[in-house]
Amino acid sequence: MKDFYVTIGLEVHCQLLTQAKMFCRCSTDYIGKEPNTLICPVCTGLPGALPVLNRRVLELAIRTALALRCEILPQVVFHRKNYFYPDLPKGYQISQYDFPIGVRGIVEFVSGGSKKRVRIKRVHVEEDAGKLIHEGPSLPWNSSGVDFNRCGIPLVEIVTEPDLRSPEEARDYLIMLRSIVRYIGASDGNMEEGSLRCDANVSVSRDVETLGTKVEVKNMNSFRSVFRALQYEIDRQKALLEKELPILQETRHWDETRDITVAARGKEEAEDYRYFPDPDLLPFSIEPKDLEEIAKTIPELPLERKERFMVEYELPEGEAGVLVQEKEVADFFEECLKEFHKPRMLCNWMLTEVLKNLNELEINITESKISPSNLAELLKLVDKREISGTIAKGILEEMFKTGGRVKEIIARKGISFITNERELEKIVRETIEKNPQSVADYLSGKEKALHFLIGQVMKVTRGQADPELAKNLLLKELNSGE
Amino acid sequence: MSKKLSLEEMKKVAQLAKLHFEERELLQFLQDVNGIIAHFEKLDRLNLEEVSPTSHISWSQPPTHGDEVLEWQEKESIFQYAPQVIARYFIVPKVVEKEEK
Ligand SMILES: [Zn+2]
Repeated sequence: MKDFYVTIGLEVHCQLLTQAKMFCRCSTDYIGKEPNTLICPVCTGLPGALPVLNRRVLELAIRTALALRCEILPQVVFHRKNYFYPDLPKGYQISQYDFPIGVRGIVEFVSGGSKKRVRIKRVHVEEDAGKLIHEGPSLPWNSSGVDFNRCGIPLVEIVTEPDLRSPEEARDYLIMLRSIVRYIGASDGNMEEGSLRCDANVSVSRDVETLGTKVEVKNMNSFRSVFRALQYEIDRQKALLEKELPILQETRHWDETRDITVAARGKEEAEDYRYFPDPDLLPFSIEPKDLEEIAKTIPELPLERKERFMVEYELPEGEAGVLVQEKEVADFFEECLKEFHKPRMLCNWMLTEVLKNLNELEINITESKISPSNLAELLKLVDKREISGTIAKGILEEMFKTGGRVKEIIARKGISFITNERELEKIVRETIEKNPQSVADYLSGKEKALHFLIGQVMKVTRGQADPELAKNLLLKELNSGE
Repeated sequence: MSKKLSLEEMKKVAQLAKLHFEERELLQFLQDVNGIIAHFEKLDRLNLEEVSPTSHISWSQPPTHGDEVLEWQEKESIFQYAPQVIARYFIVPKVVEKEEK
């Protein structure tokens, strides 16, 4: 028996997109802020301070649970999860236990070319902890510094059943989950900045009927590191099984620089958080009419949208998948389609030129200077062959930099498109006269020489010739000269 | 069902709560806690089939706040409760066992 059965479950924490913290009204905008500037008695756990729930937290968490097709529980109960750590000033974290926001959900996604589904065990909310620094120029020896700016920021935790079978599936699920939370405006899902964090439970077994020993892997800060950490951990466990060595039930940390997982230091006591209902927070009832209101705010989600794009616009699955990954990109596409009705051509331009420009400028589409109408205007010119694709790419680049409408850029740059056949014929003839060697090469069967000649025509016209037309004219001229 | 906390379990709870007690204090707590548990056992004999679990005695919807930032004006005063503050950080003994969560 050489077979191994891999089982992976993921626990994902997403920072909810609220302005204020979960139980106080301090700002959540902590990145780049001076330490301990966004604090108050509640989020620093001063005695006597009482938490008051931010309604928006429930709304966003319920929206998340609904988008993951969970059943929503009628009552929200907050529990205290008790443990001691300096980033947790109260000595407990306000979390949820037996009454989470939602249970028994489903996420569908595509991995390795086929549709997969993972069951969602639970979706609950909890507050984030503060941040610790362990080194710094002014830190005394053997001490750490605590910053409570992040403390009390709302998180939603999404726990899957152990339904994932490979690192690829785990990564593809995570990409879909991020896409969903971004679509519904619950979180920005940025792993590098820590607004989406992922822990994994991995086990490998030689027997399909029984699960292997569960190992928890933490500290993965990008999609790539999730993939590589799981790959490493699976290989490590397989090697142990092959040598008939025991696999310890433990927590391991992914070490990005060394490309390995290492056992967490310190004694691994069984966790005993002594959960109990927080007496400072009353249970919160979820009314059916509130649920209906929240359900209305959920837009068409990425997978359905992709399937609709494939049917309605006849786009290939791969392209449609990339197009719908970001809601804003898919919205831009559909907005543009209203004025320019060629989905395939538009899709190609979106996925190559538009995304290329966005990447170069390191912005997203809503921050860009071009509107769907601008792009439609440009593509109409290309489609009517009033300008060449090459020219259009240059104009698009300019549009991304300066904004401005297509016609203005064309006028400003003095771009005129040579569609006049007679004018181009003259240039073609001159090109042929100036390049006898290339002509001879072409006539002796070297196809490459034709491309050189087209290139020369484009050069003389500073790219303003229609290359299709130039090619046809060249062929006509070359073949008649035979 | 009859459940009693043992001295060992009592010690463990104290340890988790990071509280240190003398053995005689623990024995006193043990007696108190077991008294409370015995009271629950009395409650267990009641017919509670129709009653849903209650985590709080109030039935009103709790107060909430909207999602608007309101800066705490006296945040600098919070530093006075810290034994040591350097460069706006609260200073604590070094911790390394657990990774940041
Ligand atoms: Zn606060």
